[in-house]
Amino acid sequence: MTYFWPVITLIAAAGLQGNLPSAVSVLGAKPDLVLVVLISYSLVADPAFGAGLGFAAGLLHGSLVGVSLGSFIVTRTITGFLAGLATTRLFSENPLVPALSAVWLTVVCEALFLLSNPRPDIAIALRKVAGECIGNAVLTLFVYFTLRNLETRRKIKLANARI
Amino acid sequence: MLGILREKAVLTLLVLVAAGVGIGAGHNRALDRGSPFLIDEALLLVLRPSASLFHTIHVAANTAVRVARPRHSLLRENAELRREVTRLRTENAALAEAAHQNARLRPALGLRQSAKAHVIASEVISRRESTWFDTATIDKGRRAGVRKGLAVVTTGWRLVGQVLSTDAFSSRIVALTDSDSAVGAMTQRSRSSGMLQGQSSDYLLLSYLPKDADVKVGDVVISSGMGQVVPKGLVVGRIVRVVRSEVMGSTKALVRPSIRLDQIEQVFIIKPGQSVPR
Repeated sequence: MTYFWPVITLIAAAGLQGNLPSAVSVLGAKPDLVLVVLISYSLVADPAFGAGLGFAAGLLHGSLVGVSLGSFIVTRTITGFLAGLATTRLFSENPLVPALSAVWLTVVCEALFLLSNPRPDIAIALRKVAGECIGNAVLTLFVYFTLRNLETRRKIKLANARI
Repeated sequence: MLGILREKAVLTLLVLVAAGVGIGAGHNRALDRGSPFLIDEALLLVLRPSASLFHTIHVAANTAVRVARPRHSLLRENAELRREVTRLRTENAALAEAAHQNARLRPALGLRQSAKAHVIASEVISRRESTWFDTATIDKGRRAGVRKGLAVVTTGWRLVGQVLSTDAFSSRIVALTDSDSAVGAMTQRSRSSGMLQGQSSDYLLLSYLPKDADVKVGDVVISSGMGQVVPKGLVVGRIVRVVRSEVMGSTKALVRPSIRLDQIEQVFIIKPGQSVPR
């Protein structure tokens, strides 16, 4: 897989993230579109690709927010790597797999982020993580299967071209 | 152990994490100094058009929803707005009289005249990009004269927050509700002053108030001008709860901000050395 389309999707996701209406919030948190795109692509790729894409996702998201750029890069790189690692261990045709992967990967990513950026109220932070997990899981289902279909078609095209 | 490190994926991860730490450290240093960070500026050149495009779509969708409302709803709103205009006209006449009186009496009392505030009008193109930070991006940057630390207000001189960082064409602002945000504030009625801190929630905490501070629910909170970064007199919010601790000998108040980041479309950045017109 090349980085071109994933990075373009990440840029679009980053642009959309700041214009999401507050109506899509779950438990006070909006879904993290950049993280959703990262997880969805990394679940159909290998760990090295996941880490690379995570690095790009962190760089883009951190630049957009303007604070804690290093935390964004490190947490997203590790999340991309773990998502890529999960691909080689799990049967991913079951829709529960990407949804549950999005949940645990969001928890890992945000837990790492909160370690370097502690919040004053833990209860609010936990509630926001829970809300983000729900939003990310639902969106990952759609994005993951769309990407998987596109990737399968691309592979078929390549195979046909070789024949 | 060394075998694992030799694996391509693990090696990639370690290199990227190390690069991330390095970039983060450089970014933090640039942020502290208020100087531009090249990687950040280059990325924003790519990100800004994307954010602006979605902002335009967002505004167009909102306008379409507003226009498509039924006629009776528009008529009701029109009647409400007419009442509001009448009320504001009356209030405006009274305020103009008070301002005139103020201008006449100030020299007599030996007080300095309040300079007319110079502001930079700007539009919010993106907001709350992360779960953890109450930040927003505006479409004016260094070229328009925006600088780090300047106060950001919206209509009615309601304080939104401060400028966090700038690049040539856009700036990031941090709202009062952000947990890293703090500003000197006082109650308009009793002039009890303290420190207003964000809580990453819908409320602000007014702390460091004297034990016997005269504060009560409903009091309007304004900026105190301490630190001379945020001008004095900007409306911050209203007290919704007062907590007095006999043991600690302190008083704290929970403040509902006068404006939420989600509601803001246009903002004004107050240029340095300006005061709020009264």
